[in-house]
Amino acid sequence: MLEIKNLKARVAGNDILHGLSLAVNAGEVHAIMGPNGSGKSTLAQVIAGHEDYEVTHGSVTFKGQNLFDLEPEERAREGLFLGFQYPVEIPGVNNAYLLKTALNARRAHQGLDEIDAFEFLKTAREKMAALGMDPKFLNRGVNEGFSGGEKKRNEILQMAMLEPELAILDETDSGLDIDALKAVAQGVNALRSPDRAIVLVTHYQRLLDYIEPDFVHVLSEGRIARSGDKTLAHELEEKGYDWIREAANA
Amino acid sequence: MITTPIDALRDIVGRFPTTRDEDWKYTDLARARDISSRWLDEGGTRPSETPDIADLVGDIDADWFVIANGRLADIPIVDGVSVEKINELPAGDNALAEFNAALLDSGLRLRIEGRPGKPVGLLFIDEAGSPSVSQGFVEVAFEPGSRGEVFEYHASRGTGEHYSNTILCIDIGDDAVAHHVRLQDRALDHVQTHRTTVSVGRDAHFESASFDLGGGLVRNDVAIDIAQPGATVNFAGLYLAGDGQHVDNHTRVDHRVGPATSRQEYRGILNGKCRCVWNGKAIVHEGADGTDADQANHNLLLSAHAEIDAKPELEIYTDDVKCSHGTTVGQLDETALFYLRTRGLDPQRATEVLTHAFAAGLVSRIPVEAAQEPVSRLMERRLGELIRSEEDYTA
Ligand SMILES: Nc1ncnc2c1ncn2[C@@H]1O[C@H](COP(=O)(O)OP(=O)(O)OP(=O)(O)O)[C@@H](O)[C@H]1O
Ligand SMILES: [Mg+2]
Repeated sequence: MLEIKNLKARVAGNDILHGLSLAVNAGEVHAIMGPNGSGKSTLAQVIAGHEDYEVTHGSVTFKGQNLFDLEPEERAREGLFLGFQYPVEIPGVNNAYLLKTALNARRAHQGLDEIDAFEFLKTAREKMAALGMDPKFLNRGVNEGFSGGEKKRNEILQMAMLEPELAILDETDSGLDIDALKAVAQGVNALRSPDRAIVLVTHYQRLLDYIEPDFVHVLSEGRIARSGDKTLAHELEEKGYDWIREAANA
Repeated sequence: MITTPIDALRDIVGRFPTTRDEDWKYTDLARARDISSRWLDEGGTRPSETPDIADLVGDIDADWFVIANGRLADIPIVDGVSVEKINELPAGDNALAEFNAALLDSGLRLRIEGRPGKPVGLLFIDEAGSPSVSQGFVEVAFEPGSRGEVFEYHASRGTGEHYSNTILCIDIGDDAVAHHVRLQDRALDHVQTHRTTVSVGRDAHFESASFDLGGGLVRNDVAIDIAQPGATVNFAGLYLAGDGQHVDNHTRVDHRVGPATSRQEYRGILNGKCRCVWNGKAIVHEGADGTDADQANHNLLLSAHAEIDAKPELEIYTDDVKCSHGTTVGQLDETALFYLRTRGLDPQRATEVLTHAFAAGLVSRIPVEAAQEPVSRLMERRLGELIRSEEDYTA
């Protein structure tokens, strides 16, 4: 699904990723943990195609295609979804309108007709109910005045509607109350399937109690410093990151 | 029939404001002078046929008064509105008003009584000759306690050069409520000067929204006079400009007594090589205690060649006031653009979505219901053209 080889990237003149390699196969859930500033969001933004992030080395393929040949919107239509660490407020753009436009862009790419208005509303309402979101959020500006947790739920709503093949969720669990965390986890688990993959960027073991990952990676100083199964997350919770840095530098 | 001697008219044209006048610093009326002079040279004639207006206003539910090529064409009989032609106008206190008075066929005086069932429609429609000039003068008086709507629609067609010079005077009686919309959708190379004066009575309410979609050289002056306490004034404006357009909105609110509230918000969307001006003046006179005045102007520049001169001016001669103003000039929010692209929208669509959102706040405030559909439709169409036009809106 996603194959990253020796990726180096910089932003604003600073080298952030220093040769990162990672392979994510269909059906898998990966968790990426790591200290603040280690480059987790940078990796996510590079994959989504943010132009401020310059790739200086390495390759990324998505479903066998060179990811860097695709514009951000083409990546999205191909089934890549990034849940932003800081979802963007877009006053004046109706939330339902964005959902529908995004969905139809993906459908057009798949050769499908536009979604029927009734069908759209019905699906959106169902997904919102599952996420504990009031249907009123459909008629508000995109993330406009949403609380931190509401923004994160809204990202998950978009993901649930778009049914991406690869979802990268950048700290979607941060700032969530316990009910929201369960609802978000449920949303992610509902997406799990043999032909999809999910990458969770998180600081907290807690999320992984609800979404059991197949692999856990530690990103440190722009590289994957360690990979393991879900027990690695417990180990990190106990010991912090220092031992990994030491091991990596030894 | 022009009754004023041609020489006197030439004299007035020679006294049109120039960029040496402080109020006209950014807007050069050379084209208006030039068109007027050549038109006078050629005898100052006007096309006599009435342009077809059905496609413009046929679907809009209002009682339409049509001023075609400067001539009062239709005078409908309307319940709740008394109508009078006026032939003598005050000479006016500046050359543009003098020009208007000197050339006017006949002006229109309307009195709104009670609550007319439909909006009063004022259609100023010009078929350009080469060159041609037209005038229009309308007075609308709202009787005390009345409640009515005015939809002013300025359009011009044809490939010739055209200059239109119009005046609208709105007089709102005590306790009256006046809702007003102005739509300007002229050909992209025509010239317009338009002046709106509004006097607001005791406890009266004025709610207005203006839309400038077309025109090559456009200057709108709005002067609102609050001489009675208790007035509430809300006015908004949206101007769209693309290559070669120059759109200037000058507003002035005189708070002579308090308490009273005035709020204005203008927004502009500019693409290509164009220039817009917004100058909002609020004067709080001595003794106008309890005045609350707010001015806002926000501009979205989609091209590096677009230029905006935005200037709020507050003059305050009393203490007990609340005044605020804010102006912004910005490009599209790159973060929002990227976010939309990650949701599958291509840059053009994302630009459209964000630009529409910028305009949406004003469109949702159109205070004349019958104007909402046509204004939004024409605005969307023009906005689409602007975004698709040429160049580097994402650069
Ligand atoms: N646009 C930018 N301009 C300048 N520096 C940046 C930019 N984006 C990221 N950086 C820097 O790159 C480094 C990695 O940031 P990144 O956001 O990828 O970290 P992170 O691992 O996601 O951290 P956190 O856990 O706090 O979210 C940081 O030092 C950050 O300051
Ligand atoms: Mg981060």
